[in-house]
Amino acid sequence: MKFGLFYEISVPRPWGRETEKTVYDNCLEQVALADTLGFDQVWAVEHHFLEEYSHCPAPELFLTACAMKTKKMRVGHGIVVCVPEFNHPIKIAERTAVLDILSGGRLEVGTGRSATWTELGGFRASPDETKKTWDEFVHCLPNMWTQERYSYQGRSWSMPQRTIVPKPYQKPHPPLWVAVTSPGTEVDAAERGMGSLGLTFGGFAEQDEKVKRYRKIIRNCTPVGKFVNENVSTVNFLYCHEDDAEGVKIGKRMTGTFNYLASQLLAAREAYPSKSYPSLGLLPALRQDASGPGDASGAPEGIAIGNPARLVRELKKWEACGVDRVNFLLNALESIPQEKVLDSLRIFAKEVMPHFQGASDSAAAAAGGR
Amino acid sequence: MPPRYGKLNTADWAKAAATINGYKTEPWLLKGAQILSINIEIDDDPADNLIPRTMHPSIPSYAIFNVTHYPESPAGAFSIAEVRIAGRTGVRPRGFVLRSFCDSEDARRELGARWGFPVAPAEVKIDLRHDRIVAHVIADGRNALDCELVDRDVIAGNDIQYIASMHLARNKEDGKMVLVQVDPEFVFSKAERGKPRILHLDNNAWGAGDNLRLGNPISATFTVADVTMPKIRYICNPEVPAMQGTTKVAA
Repeated sequence: MKFGLFYEISVPRPWGRETEKTVYDNCLEQVALADTLGFDQVWAVEHHFLEEYSHCPAPELFLTACAMKTKKMRVGHGIVVCVPEFNHPIKIAERTAVLDILSGGRLEVGTGRSATWTELGGFRASPDETKKTWDEFVHCLPNMWTQERYSYQGRSWSMPQRTIVPKPYQKPHPPLWVAVTSPGTEVDAAERGMGSLGLTFGGFAEQDEKVKRYRKIIRNCTPVGKFVNENVSTVNFLYCHEDDAEGVKIGKRMTGTFNYLASQLLAAREAYPSKSYPSLGLLPALRQDASGPGDASGAPEGIAIGNPARLVRELKKWEACGVDRVNFLLNALESIPQEKVLDSLRIFAKEVMPHFQGASDSAAAAAGGR
Repeated sequence: MPPRYGKLNTADWAKAAATINGYKTEPWLLKGAQILSINIEIDDDPADNLIPRTMHPSIPSYAIFNVTHYPESPAGAFSIAEVRIAGRTGVRPRGFVLRSFCDSEDARRELGARWGFPVAPAEVKIDLRHDRIVAHVIADGRNALDCELVDRDVIAGNDIQYIASMHLARNKEDGKMVLVQVDPEFVFSKAERGKPRILHLDNNAWGAGDNLRLGNPISATFTVADVTMPKIRYICNPEVPAMQGTTKVAA
């Protein structure tokens, strides 16, 4: 199992320019430290207009900065919105290729379609169309990355023959992922040979089923890319502290804040009834589970907050479900002071990572090998 | 916590509030209800003046225009129209009811006393046409609302998510102003979606003054459903955030 970071970049009011800068600086400092500690990857969302919850509309810029501050960590779009009103597919192909070059071939490309009316309505995009345009985009991207000359006549977009340059550094191209929030999207990922970038979990039993379904279907997939990216990633919160009660208490402050912020947004399903959006999106199950009653300590099941022993126990359950990677949200509205976030990363790397094959290799390599 | 929250002057608003007979309301099953519901974005900052401090505005703010015909009820057939401002109590989506208008005196009395609906008399009509659903509300001889759903298109009932309402009401037992949450259950037999249109809106009829400024249209739905008006389960203190001021009154 490998571990990574996952950024929404939530910014507390009032939004002075120094506040925004401080939050971005803090994120970059966390990423730089995580690279030295052996974390494997960093992901950033693409969100628009989601005040306080996420001030991350240009992940390619943030990820470029991450790439400049790190040596080994992979950088991931979690996700790039595949809706033409948000992003033209040519621009996606070009931007991702440049980021792959600048990062020396460390790019992962998560794809998705936005889950809020706040964003879809802001770009005047129809919620009924997003699944179709996403599907069209992910079939186009690998060809745009690999064919010297490219032309396309499709349903939502078209282009005459041109040479799309540059091409990505990774050959044949970067790994492709799908954001999985709505039920059944793991099947979409598997059928297309794409990684499952889980943004919910909804309990171990459900996750176990989803992973089994994904692994079974992907064996007979028709990959959209030039290779199959069979990987299951999920997202979690992280606050690790030597004292379990303190870790749970501070961690719950973060999960509660995140949950509160996310719920103020307008989910596509709430405002615009459509079969295209059967769930509320925006990490709903993660939010729900993170608010659960939990055990006697108050720590909800499966959430990585508390002392190292608790985190090892909970993450082993995810590993047993077949999850390959866990990406962590480290803060929400800066509710945890930066020094504590950095300490949490250090304790995690020292006392939790060694219990996981793959993660411990990364940690050892980061420390100079063994 | 984020500093955004509702800024409604509840003392002023209380003048139009209903008096509720405690919180031991028994459910009503209302069969075959025809429900026209229209969602329209509204300007954020003035909209904050239309929800109580208990609530956080949704992002973006939006208003819900509901017009419903109930062909049968314990109070007889009636039609009701209401305007709600969407927001959140804690982490849950809720719609604060500005005003309701109803064409039946018996229904007005029961809805106010049982669930705290702030209901005034008016003529309320829904017309089902081949290409549209049209609704009119005429209060005190003045046109309070004309709205319609156009381009009718069939969808599944399980795609519909109506949010619970919050009513500012005075409790008869202790005289206190409370926010009453009403969370009906719906069993859909028909569901359609279309484009929303507000053809006429008299803001003053709904008590909104200049604070209700219509913006981007979102969606309109028309459903036929069996509706269960539930027991009251939660009430809130309208002056404090829901996280601190919510009381459970029934299982």
